[in-house]
Amino acid sequence: MDAPAILRGVGLTKIYGNLVALRDADFSLRPGEVRALIGSNGAGKSTLIKVFTGAIAPTLGRVEIDGVAAPLGDPSEMIRRGIACIYQHSNLAPAMSVLDNIFLGRQPTRRFGFVDSARQRREARALLERHRIAIDLDATVGNLPTVKQKEVEILKALALDARVILMDEPTAWLAASEVAKLHDTIRMLKTRAVGIVYISHVLDEIFAVCDTMTIMRDGRVIAESAVADIDRPRVVHLMVGEKLARESAEAAHEKRHPRGTGEIRMSARDLTKRGVFTEVSFDLHAGEILCITGLIGSKRTELLRTLFGCDRFDGGTLQIDGRTAAFASPTGAIAAGVGFVPEDRHREGLMLDMTMTENLAMATLDRFHRGLMLQRRRMSEAARQAIASLSIQPPDGSRPVKLLSGGNQQKVLVGKWLNRAPRILILDEPTVGVDVGAKAEIYRILRRERERGAAILVVSSDLEEVFTIADRIGVMVAGRLVRIHDADDCRLQDIVREIGGAAA
Amino acid sequence: MTIRPATVALVLFFAATLAFFSVSAPRFATATNYENLMAGFSFVAILAMGQAFPILVRGIDLSIGAIVGLVGMVVFDLTLIFHVPGYVILPVALVVGMLAGALNGVLVVVLRLQPFIATLATLAAYRGLTYTISGRQLVPGLSTTPITDRWIVGIENYFDVGGWLGVNKLLAMPWFPLSFFIMLALFALFQTLVLATRFGRDLYAVGGNYEAARLAGINTGRVIITAYALSGLCAAIAALIMVARFTTATEALGTGSELTAIAAAVIGGVSLAGGIGSMFGPALGAFLLGAVLLGLTLQGVPQFVQQIITGAILLAAVGYDRLLVVRRQRRLAANLAQAG
Repeated sequence: MDAPAILRGVGLTKIYGNLVALRDADFSLRPGEVRALIGSNGAGKSTLIKVFTGAIAPTLGRVEIDGVAAPLGDPSEMIRRGIACIYQHSNLAPAMSVLDNIFLGRQPTRRFGFVDSARQRREARALLERHRIAIDLDATVGNLPTVKQKEVEILKALALDARVILMDEPTAWLAASEVAKLHDTIRMLKTRAVGIVYISHVLDEIFAVCDTMTIMRDGRVIAESAVADIDRPRVVHLMVGEKLARESAEAAHEKRHPRGTGEIRMSARDLTKRGVFTEVSFDLHAGEILCITGLIGSKRTELLRTLFGCDRFDGGTLQIDGRTAAFASPTGAIAAGVGFVPEDRHREGLMLDMTMTENLAMATLDRFHRGLMLQRRRMSEAARQAIASLSIQPPDGSRPVKLLSGGNQQKVLVGKWLNRAPRILILDEPTVGVDVGAKAEIYRILRRERERGAAILVVSSDLEEVFTIADRIGVMVAGRLVRIHDADDCRLQDIVREIGGAAA
Repeated sequence: MTIRPATVALVLFFAATLAFFSVSAPRFATATNYENLMAGFSFVAILAMGQAFPILVRGIDLSIGAIVGLVGMVVFDLTLIFHVPGYVILPVALVVGMLAGALNGVLVVVLRLQPFIATLATLAAYRGLTYTISGRQLVPGLSTTPITDRWIVGIENYFDVGGWLGVNKLLAMPWFPLSFFIMLALFALFQTLVLATRFGRDLYAVGGNYEAARLAGINTGRVIITAYALSGLCAAIAALIMVARFTTATEALGTGSELTAIAAAVIGGVSLAGGIGSMFGPALGAFLLGAVLLGLTLQGVPQFVQQIITGAILLAAVGYDRLLVVRRQRRLAANLAQAG
C-alpha cells in the first residue's frame, strides 16, 4: 500500500436528471495493481469508468493522475495521460481495417499529415508478436467474429502503452480459452507496472486474476478489500446488500406460486430468431411471475419484443391460450390480451408531453370513443381511478407525464395496460432508474395482478428484484434460455454463476 | 486499399451502360457526344466528390446547389460591377464556397442540428442571399452583358488530346474540356486525402463509429466542419466551371444539382450510413448518371421524364445502400450469436 496511486478519483458524483448514478465515490489504483470493480447492474461501475476515460464529466469531484488533477470530460487528454479502456460495447469502426482501428485517432504521420503506414504496420506487427496474438491486420473489423473484435479492442489499448487499462466486462463475449489468454496478458501487464481496473460479474475470474476489489452499490463505493482477505459469500452479500438479504427473507414468507394456477397462458417452443436468440422454450402460467435474468446483451429484450409482435421470429412456435400465435404487429398481441412495458420509458413507453390521463388511456382508446369522438369525461374518470389505485403522486390527471418522477412515470406506463386487465403482462426492466419506494409499489402492483390471475413475464438484470418478485427464475446467456428454476429452490450464488455462463 | 467488389460492379455497370446506348441510341458513340458527357458532367463529378465528404461522416449537404448559385453571383458582381481582375476573383470564389460550407459544419457541430435540417435551412438562406446580392437586379442592363475576363472564361477551354497523341487519323477522339482535367486533379487530390492521410482516417472513424472516434481522442467537431467546408469548396469550383461555360451567372444557377450529386455519390457506393466509400465511386457515378441522361436524350425521351428517372435511380441506389446496411447488421448479430 506504499506505492503512490497512479489513478485516483475523489468524491466523484454524477447526476443525470433526477437519477444519481454515482454518489461521492472515492477510488484509487496503484501501479501493477489489478483491481476488480464489482456490483450489480446500475451500481455505478460503468459511470465511474466513463469518468476516468473522459467520456463524461462528473457533476462533482476530481480525478488525479500521479497526484496531479486531470482535466475532466476530455477523452483525448485522458489518452494522452495513459488511460486506456476496453469498453463493454464495441468501440470499433466496423468498416475500417484492424490496423486502422488499432491506431484510431493517433496514426503515426509523416509530413503533411500523410499516414506512415509502413511504421504503423511495423509497430502493429511487433505488438502482435509481443503478445502472441494472431490476427489479420488488413481484415475489415465488421467481418470478424466477436472474439476477434474483442482482441482488436485489447490491442488498441496495448498499442497506447497505457499506464492504466480499464476493462469493462472484457470477457462478456469470450470463450473460456480466450479468457485464460486475456488473464495471461493481464499478468504480463502487471509485471510492467500497468494498473488495471477489471469489471466482471463472474466472481471466478475476479478471484483468479485480481489483487484487490472495490464493491459498489447504488452509486456508492461500499467496500474495499484485498482479494485474499475476503470470501465469495461475503462479496455477494456486500454486492446485493443487507436489504436483499432481508427482502429475500421476507419474500420467502411471501408465498411463491411457481406455475401459478397451472393454466398455461403463453407457451414458447424452440423460438429462434437467426443471429439473435436460439431455441427458447418456456411455459408461462396464469397467476405466476416468471423473471428472466442475464447479462446485458443476452438478448432478453429482443425476445420480449418478438413475443409482443414488434419483431418476427424465424423458427419455433408460440401459443397463447393453446392457440398458435404469430403476431405480425403489436396490434395482434394486444387483441390477444398481451400488454408490454418496454425498458426505455422515455423513448418507447410514454408520450412525455401529454398528460397522465392521455397516457393512461393510450392502450384503451378503443373503449373511450363514440363514433369518431373521444369521450374525455369517461377517460378522466378512468384515469382518476387508476391514479388512486396505483397511488401516483401528485394525483392530478392533467399533469404532463414529463413532470413526474421516474417511479411515477413507470407506474403510469404499467397502469395504461391494467385498464385492459391483460391476461399476459410483459415487462422489460420495470424498475430501472426508479427509487426504492416506487419500486416497492410497482412490486405490489405486479403481485396484485398476479393474484388477479394474470400471467406475468419480467426481464430484469437486478437480482435483488428477481429474488423479490419471481415465482420462477429463468437465466438467459447469449441468446439461449439455459435454465428455469423455481425461485424457492435456488440460491443467489448459483444464479450469479449461471448468468456468467458457467455450467449449472 | 483493396478494391471492393462494389467498385468492380460499378465499373462493369458503367461499361454496360455505354455499350447499351452505343447500340440503341443514335449518335451516342460519337466524339461529340463524349465531349458533351465530359463537359456536361465533370462539374457534377466534382460536386459528387464534395458531397462524399459530409456523407462519409454520416451527414448530408443539401445546400451545395445554393452555394453554386451564391458563388456564381459573387463572381458575376465582382467582374461586371466592381471590375475586379479574374486572378483575384478565383481565390475569393473558393473562399466564399468554403466558408458557406464550413457554416453548415458549424451548425451541425455546435448547434447539434441534424445535417438534413441544417443544410435545408442554408439551402434557402444561400439562395435568398443570391437574389439579394444579384447584380442582375441591382444594376439594370447588366443581365445581358457577358463575362469576358480571361481568367474566368478561360476555364471553358478544350484540348485536342487526340491531335497531341497523333491518333486522329485512326479514330475520332473527342476534344477534352479543361473541367475534365480539373476533375481528374481533384480526384487525385481527394483520393489521396481520404486514403493516405491522418485526416482521411479520422473521417472514416467519425463516420464509422462516432463515439469510438470521440473516445479515441479525435477532434470530431473539426473533422465534421472540415468535411462540410470541402463540400462547399467543390461547389465553388463547380460554380466557376458553370459561369465560364455560360459566360454569365443567374440567380437560379445550380438549382437542383444537390440531388444529382447525392445520387452520384450514393450510386458510387458512398454509404449514407457513414464511413464507407471513396472518391472513385462518386466521380464515376456522376458520369454513369450523365451517360444515362444523355443516352435517353438521344433516344428522344423528354426532359421531365429524365427527372423522374433521376429520382428513380436515386431511390434505387439509396434502397440498395439500405439493404447493404441491414445485411451488415445481420452479419454482426450472427457473429455475436456464434461467440456465445
